[in-house]
Amino acid sequence: MAPPSRSARAAVLASSVQRSKPAPRPSQARRALIRRAVVVVLVLAALTLLTVSFRSPTAGALHDVQGAGSTALRPFQIAATRVAQPFRDAYDYLHSLSSAKSENAKLKKENAELRKDAISARASAAKYSQLPKLLHFEQGPTFPKDFRPVNVEVISSPAGPFTHTLEIAAGSSSGVRINSPVVSGDGLVGRVTNVFPDTAIVTLLSDPDSFVAARDLRTGVRGGIRTGPSGTLALDEVQKQLVVKQGDVIVTAGTHSARFPDLYPYGIPIGRVSSVGASDTASFLQVQVQPFANLGSLDAVAALVPTKSRR
Amino acid sequence: MSLADGVKAAALLFVAAIVQVSIFSEIHVFGAVPDVLLVSLVALSLLRGSVVGALGGFFVGLLVDTATLGMLGLSSLVLTLAGYWIGRYGETTGRDRAHAPFLSVAVVTVLYELGLLVVHFVLGESAPAGAVVRSLVPAIVLNLIITAPIYALVRRLLRPAQRDELTAEVQLLG
Repeated sequence: MAPPSRSARAAVLASSVQRSKPAPRPSQARRALIRRAVVVVLVLAALTLLTVSFRSPTAGALHDVQGAGSTALRPFQIAATRVAQPFRDAYDYLHSLSSAKSENAKLKKENAELRKDAISARASAAKYSQLPKLLHFEQGPTFPKDFRPVNVEVISSPAGPFTHTLEIAAGSSSGVRINSPVVSGDGLVGRVTNVFPDTAIVTLLSDPDSFVAARDLRTGVRGGIRTGPSGTLALDEVQKQLVVKQGDVIVTAGTHSARFPDLYPYGIPIGRVSSVGASDTASFLQVQVQPFANLGSLDAVAALVPTKSRR
Repeated sequence: MSLADGVKAAALLFVAAIVQVSIFSEIHVFGAVPDVLLVSLVALSLLRGSVVGALGGFFVGLLVDTATLGMLGLSSLVLTLAGYWIGRYGETTGRDRAHAPFLSVAVVTVLYELGLLVVHFVLGESAPAGAVVRSLVPAIVLNLIITAPIYALVRRLLRPAQRDELTAEVQLLG
């Protein structure tokens, strides 16, 4: 029994009366048959073509027909390609434009990296330009005997006019010791005044407390290199009657006594006499010396380590 | 289906095949190619039924294989089945439904790609399943994008068949 709210039609539809399946009309059955026959024939034809084509892909009647068909279709394909060419050109233009933009950005980035590398390479070249001179000095005749060089990089240069020390990247582990003379490729730089395992402090010739026994290479006149009142190096304690001329080369004097060896071995170039003066009241000449080594711009130096035991 | 409709359908598929092999086959987006021919065949099958779909698929497949000098019968086989299946869908549940073209295109795109893959595999040719699977989603998206304009064009070209022209095997009660 159907609920009272439902309509009579719904009640009829909801009843359990068995409805007979409508028989297909003859035309519909025929259509279905034709349809299935068509698809079966087409699939079989396709499979046949596929088989023939697969078995003889480069020869045979089918191959010839296909070639002729392709030739016949070619003009249509060319026409279609020509019609599409302006659109393709526009697309290619836009594509190449976007590619050019991305390529430009990429090249800019690459250029920045290369510039950075070039600057780094130039900096390295400038930094180690002093090495050939240093090597030349170490292999030259003026290099002191009984010493070996410890070539080392300068970690920090003098920070200002009141600083007369620099730090080098070698210490006691490399054999560097206190009072080891330090040279550059041009000449004497100073001596080691403090040593750590891997670093050392070098006091420069320009330090007010520095003193180096020196001599005129040409005349053999002896004196002491100190920093003068004006901050320049001077050869002190040279008697007035002795002859020192402008342009003379000043080198380290070396040991006077075998018992008390000098800190600096003989013959290390210090500088060149830039001026010689004398006053009536002073008993010594005023000899100014221009150091060979550029004490304010050192990148690599050599600490001289004795090969024999010295006091 | 009248003679005029047959001529229109043949012209439509011919143009679609030429455009596909000449122009669209060179447009690669994420490894996929928009398939104007397949979408046109789907539209034709939906509007004109399974027999027209199967016949169209067979001959247009033959045309493509001829134009590209590919293995004859390969595209025909797959496109015949695709046209027939979509035609049957149009004749039964798919007719008059707005989403029918899009659903058909999405499903047929997958079946078409996988069908070609299977046939190539069976023939012992290169069958890069990974590449095909990876390009499936872009292919579906591309084909769905071109479905609306192509279906509208085909519908304008070929008036929808009267209901009694289509085979109706699903009997509706009431």
